Amino acid sequence: MTEHARTLHARLHLLDRQVASTDEDRLICKVDDLEVRTGDGPFPYVTAILSGPLALGPRIGGVAGWLMAEVDRLFRDDPSGEPYRIAMGRVTEIGSAVRVAGQPRDLALERWLARNVVGRIPGAPRPEHEEDAATEPEALEAQEVAEGRARREDGETLRMSTLLARVVRDDSGNVVGNVVDVRLVQDGPLLDGVQLAFRLAGFVVARRRAGQLFGYERAHRDGHPALVAAVVRRLHGEIRYADWDEVASLGDGEVRLRVPWERLRMLDDL
Amino acid sequence: MKKLFAVTLGILTAFGGFVDIGDLVANAVVGSRFGLSLVWVVVVGIVGICLFAEMSGRIAAVSQRPVFDLVRERLGPRAGLVNLGASFFINALTLAAEIGGASLALELATGVNYLLWVPLVALVAWLVMWRVKFETMERIFGLMGLGLVVFLVALWKLGPDWGELAHQLTRPPQDEGLPTYFYYAIALLGGAMTPYEVFFFSSGGVEERWTSKDLVTERANVFVGFPLGGLLSIGIAACAATLFMPVEAVPDSLGQMVLPVAAGLGKVALGVVILGVFAATFGATLETALSSGYSLSQYFGWQWGKYVQPARAARFHVVVLAVTIVATALILTTIDPIMVTEYSLVFSAAALPLTYLPVLMIANDPDYMGDKVNGRFSNALGMVYMVLLLVVAVAAVPLMLATKAGQ
Repeated sequence: MTEHARTLHARLHLLDRQVASTDEDRLICKVDDLEVRTGDGPFPYVTAILSGPLALGPRIGGVAGWLMAEVDRLFRDDPSGEPYRIAMGRVTEIGSAVRVAGQPRDLALERWLARNVVGRIPGAPRPEHEEDAATEPEALEAQEVAEGRARREDGETLRMSTLLARVVRDDSGNVVGNVVDVRLVQDGPLLDGVQLAFRLAGFVVARRRAGQLFGYERAHRDGHPALVAAVVRRLHGEIRYADWDEVASLGDGEVRLRVPWERLRMLDDL
Repeated sequence: MKKLFAVTLGILTAFGGFVDIGDLVANAVVGSRFGLSLVWVVVVGIVGICLFAEMSGRIAAVSQRPVFDLVRERLGPRAGLVNLGASFFINALTLAAEIGGASLALELATGVNYLLWVPLVALVAWLVMWRVKFETMERIFGLMGLGLVVFLVALWKLGPDWGELAHQLTRPPQDEGLPTYFYYAIALLGGAMTPYEVFFFSSGGVEERWTSKDLVTERANVFVGFPLGGLLSIGIAACAATLFMPVEAVPDSLGQMVLPVAAGLGKVALGVVILGVFAATFGATLETALSSGYSLSQYFGWQWGKYVQPARAARFHVVVLAVTIVATALILTTIDPIMVTEYSLVFSAAALPLTYLPVLMIANDPDYMGDKVNGRFSNALGMVYMVLLLVVAVAAVPLMLATKAGQ
């Protein structure tokens, strides 16, 4: 393992960020979810950004999530049921936005509305031929989708969002807390021959389940509004970090530890 | 020199664009019922909007991320969606009020019933959003809104008893109950600190391609333009206090709200103020309609904005069009636009913490802000306002029910 590998937190630095294209100044989608590959090598690692209603809907759940997915189905050319996917190897920058190389195609609803509504209003330039010139061919998107499906059918992938909020049990089976964030380190396998994958390095576990941490779990940094930080920490109770080595299994929608809660490191010590 | 010109123009635009139908109605009604005893709330509101807008504008300039990106990112998809629903609803309500206000201004100018103007106002507003460049659009209506300055001149001409006005600052009238007093305090705060102003301001920063170099302009707009706009609000309240309070009348139509100008300065000034009201409400129509598109697009990660061709931001333009149609339909039901305004103000105040908290958090996050994070002073003030806005949010709707919306 290299010493300077980049470390991120999935929820804090990746999920729900804007995805923009590097080559042209265009907003593409949100990081609605991440595809994590599990059955390959010692560590699970992030393989793709998933987006669109089919990725966001399940995260929201309930009627709103279902409605979102159904509306999307109306506007899709292919009924594959796979979400929009951008391979992680295309990511060039992770900052206030996630930038990806190339010119990914727009999502289905955007294409449909551009063609059938906005393109028909007088004063709008016709988008069709322009779109074809500027963005990648449909085949590439189809390839992405097919790859996502193949991975999923192998049972080798899961979605990052399903790891968050999982119940954590210690070595004797007692519930000790909930996953509030997933730590990623960029020293996984080589992706598309260009960059290393973010591998799953461990879980941030909070005693009490109280929504997001907003980044306040990170060691005392200057400048956080003290009151907000105090409230957030208070709500979550004790927060510890379970390294991947201390995790026994990810089965049954839970995270099972090899060690008792007290053996886990306090987050502040990292 | 060019820089100075740009800064001045920005300040004037912020000044003229500050007052909208909400400020106009809230200040005129409050001035006539409570005199100047609620001026402190306007001051609190101005400081609050300066703080809030400065943070969100700074974030937009440094990281190119507008407010609703931050909401989604910090609150996550579920809480973010609830927030989006509330913000979108309030935006649409405010949009309806602004369309109504612009149509009422046209009725005052022409004598033709406002309902006939409503579809025309909506159509022209949509055409402007569809075709006119962002900066041109913002400048024209911001500068025309300066017509409202005649309120200040009118106040001086009305020759009020300044001692009496000063006396009112600390003495609420005895015949109004405390719940009503606080209900109107919340409405005034909602007028000064409307969420759409912040959506629009930060998204506008991205539309105009602000970078860290534009922070001077951004701060000048906020710290000079907004307080001047607030002064105008107080002037409107003082006019109402001078003219209506002694006779115990409460203006309940736009015509009565601009009456102090006619009384103080005559017909020409009345024409100018009506133009000002039209520009202010029409400008706010554009801002609220665009803000609806901004908030929805930013939540879902869609391409948005007027800096790309419409066909490149199809979902954004469809949302703007749809919300304009819905708001127009709402006003065409002959619902009283002034009443819609009053409700939108209270809901605006109630929803403020939803967007304020993520902005306060990100303004402190060095991942986004580098060395441009909040200073100690901003944070101390930011926390005071966080608590204040939470109290207001909790109190707003119960007070509205208890006082039957200020009856």
